[in-house]
Amino acid sequence: MSHEYVPEVSTDREGKEHVVQGWQDDREGGKMGFWLFMLTEVMMFGAMFLVLTYYFSLHQQDFINASASLNRLLGGINTVVLLFSALTMGLGLLKMRSGDVKGAQLMIWATIVLATAFLVIKGFEWTAEYNHGVFLGLDALQSGNEHSKPFGEILFFGMYFTMTGLHGFHIIIGIGIMLWLLKRIKAGKVTPGHNILHFNIALYWDLVHLIWVFVFPYFYMIGAGDIGGVIHGH
Amino acid sequence: MSKSYLDKDETHCAIGHPKSAFWQWMLTVDHKRIGIMYAAVMFVFFFVAVFTALLMRVELFAPGAQFIDGDMFNQAFTLHGVIMVFLFIIPGIPAVFGNIVMPLMIGAKDVSFPRLNWFTFWLYIVGCIIALSSLVTFNDAGAAIGIADTGWTFYAPYSLNTDTNVITTLVAAFVLGMASILTGLNFLVTIHRLRAPGMGFFKMPLFVWGIYATAWIQLLATPVVGITLILAILEKFFGIGIFDPSKGGDPVLFQHLFWIYSHPAVYLMILPAFGIMSEIIPVFSRREIFGYRTIALSSASIAGIGYIVWGHHLYTSGMSDIAKTIFSFLTFFVAVPTGIKFYDWIATMYKGKIILATPMLWALGTIITFAIGGLTGVTIAMVGVDIHLQDTYYSVAHFHYAILGGVVFLLFAGLHYWFPLVTGKMYNETRAKIAFYLNFVGINLLWFPMFIAGYYGMPRRYFDYLPEFEVYHQVSGVGAIVIVTGLIFMMWNLIRGWRKGEKVGVNYWGATTLEWHTQSSPPPLENHPKVPYVDFNPYEYHHGEPVVKFDENMKRID
Amino acid sequence: MDTNVNYKAEYAGYWKVLVALLIFTAITFIQPGMFLTDYTFVTQIAIGAIKAWIILMYYMHLKGEKLIIAFIYFSLFLVTFFFIVVGIDVANFQYQDVSHITSQVK
Repeated sequence: MSHEYVPEVSTDREGKEHVVQGWQDDREGGKMGFWLFMLTEVMMFGAMFLVLTYYFSLHQQDFINASASLNRLLGGINTVVLLFSALTMGLGLLKMRSGDVKGAQLMIWATIVLATAFLVIKGFEWTAEYNHGVFLGLDALQSGNEHSKPFGEILFFGMYFTMTGLHGFHIIIGIGIMLWLLKRIKAGKVTPGHNILHFNIALYWDLVHLIWVFVFPYFYMIGAGDIGGVIHGH
Repeated sequence: MSKSYLDKDETHCAIGHPKSAFWQWMLTVDHKRIGIMYAAVMFVFFFVAVFTALLMRVELFAPGAQFIDGDMFNQAFTLHGVIMVFLFIIPGIPAVFGNIVMPLMIGAKDVSFPRLNWFTFWLYIVGCIIALSSLVTFNDAGAAIGIADTGWTFYAPYSLNTDTNVITTLVAAFVLGMASILTGLNFLVTIHRLRAPGMGFFKMPLFVWGIYATAWIQLLATPVVGITLILAILEKFFGIGIFDPSKGGDPVLFQHLFWIYSHPAVYLMILPAFGIMSEIIPVFSRREIFGYRTIALSSASIAGIGYIVWGHHLYTSGMSDIAKTIFSFLTFFVAVPTGIKFYDWIATMYKGKIILATPMLWALGTIITFAIGGLTGVTIAMVGVDIHLQDTYYSVAHFHYAILGGVVFLLFAGLHYWFPLVTGKMYNETRAKIAFYLNFVGINLLWFPMFIAGYYGMPRRYFDYLPEFEVYHQVSGVGAIVIVTGLIFMMWNLIRGWRKGEKVGVNYWGATTLEWHTQSSPPPLENHPKVPYVDFNPYEYHHGEPVVKFDENMKRID
Repeated sequence: MDTNVNYKAEYAGYWKVLVALLIFTAITFIQPGMFLTDYTFVTQIAIGAIKAWIILMYYMHLKGEKLIIAFIYFSLFLVTFFFIVVGIDVANFQYQDVSHITSQVK
């Protein structure tokens, strides 16, 4: 839409004029709309955490055992990678708002690189798990055969692949929209004075980070302590 | 002659500036045109589902198999439910009148995100196409009817094991859910940001309150069923185990997750309908509505309480007694705000000058049919009673009285009320009234016997039944013919009215809300010529006449 | 251009938050072996919640956004309610004797 929008004015009975908020150029509306969209993601992942907690309560030891078998080093590296990517994304927005468009573009590229690194590391993790026979569709996660894991571990890994998979899917989408953002900046549609798109994409990336802040400890850390068979938590 | 939003070239488009009328419709971002397109598609699917139901009623007219077998019957009620719920009633009033009327009512020129609105409509169409594609399956013998046979509720573990097109239907429902979420999002931002200067929340028309409360449910409840459907798809494809008992998964968990959405969904259906009732009653009683604030707040509380009562669909599924008790207790609460609305509407009519035009007939008829639907819901909210009546025709009669006799009847009321606004013409009033009476008699003939049949034990979703139930099915069968006749007659009358009806001027009914105060009928593309300053309440009448009057610059001249 | 962007202050702010988050991440790693080891699950989630609050308030610029914070509280309340009620149901499960999935069948 063009930027020649001039807001309308409404006159009351005393002749006083009030500016009408139109749908164009509504930065607050754009922010509100994007936050509402992110609430849907909260509800979605919230329901998944509900499923996870339900099965954790039924099979505590199995969950802890399965958690202990995950690669905490790779998972931890990914946590730090994602943390830094949130920083670069935020700095990019700050630079854009202050007028440093080139710096902003650089920071967005840095975020894309870190996001890709995250996916590559996750790829290594999943490949290693596949090679250990632990993957969707393989015997260990089916029931009734000689390699079958106990119920709790099957459910743990089912949710593990689902949730980290969906999270990774959101990262792929994030990379996509960051590339699109770079295009919009190059085309002059996103500028220091008109940056709601950049603001919202930064919010999106923070949400992706936020989800991982809960996914990581839930899957990787609950089995990190004494794994000699003692039940932790409640 | 001033131009209306329906005229050629009188529209804004998402992409470019097309010259042909066809592409102007396909690419339009105008909320009024989008609402009309939703209505056109939704009603086509509505009649497909109605005929599926008629098919079932004819089959069930006598015990034993008449012309379809048990498997196909299961597919029939699944198709009926999937279309009625996901393709018709959930987009429902928000997609049609939320789009067409709500921005006009708040003095806005469009919704907050018109291009998103355009995208959402076409996302809905994609969902419909995917749902249609689940109808056919190709096997060794050629093409067959492949639609899922699980019921629209897709309960595990049957939905995981059946080889009908469950996954396609789940994908369709997911896409349609996304469209619902985006509509809710758009409306929430619109109502927060684009109200005319001076219009605080408590000066908004009650229909806008209804759309607002509904939008919160669309936004926050739908993602839960979205992820449930995805988990079911992953379960079918990858065997992740969470709903499969052979891996320790719990099918009751599916029910919890499914109903965490699907119960709020019924409030999503009824709240805009109640909003329409709150618009029609004052206009046709020529009086200010009684209890504006309580009706507004009751919409908000129904939306809120509606989130926490889903377990009453699971009374017989193996929940603990304490959970059953909690849900029963909370379910009784949700009837209270609805009751408050009913008392307020009746109080509005008291000492009013009642005009029994078609919209008012539909509204009054709904007061009766929804009262039956709502009160029978309270009966089965009681755990002990529900043990006997769960999954019988009693439940089916309850929700059809509530949804058909509540939501759909009020949708029809809205069609007849806003018809002159949307089209600039009027339908034949006499024929419209006959259509109403056919529908009203039909719904009661069709559904009331089912309360009795259900009480005596007739199970739902059953293809065959014991001879003692035959009389109920026969009466229902007659009622089905009557109501289908009424529906077709009503639609024909409305379509004929749009094509050949007499042209009418602005504010045909003498209403007070802003959508009636445009300068031409139908409204121009940009709605009001100037946004008015709103320092008045939405339903101000004095001696039966609207108080607030505007000149052609939207300045008050009363 | 946002003429009231205090670049230096905001830039420093971003790095301060990063350090805080890194510290909490380190705590996440050492906790299972060091303290509250019998309550690993609850502690891990609590640390996550603290990190989340920092991210929301600072990185996501929520400080001062009253309306949006109200929206967030509403949806968090709903999710919490779902957890509580399903939790009550599970905690009072009364069909252990006939359940196939809660008693391990191997």
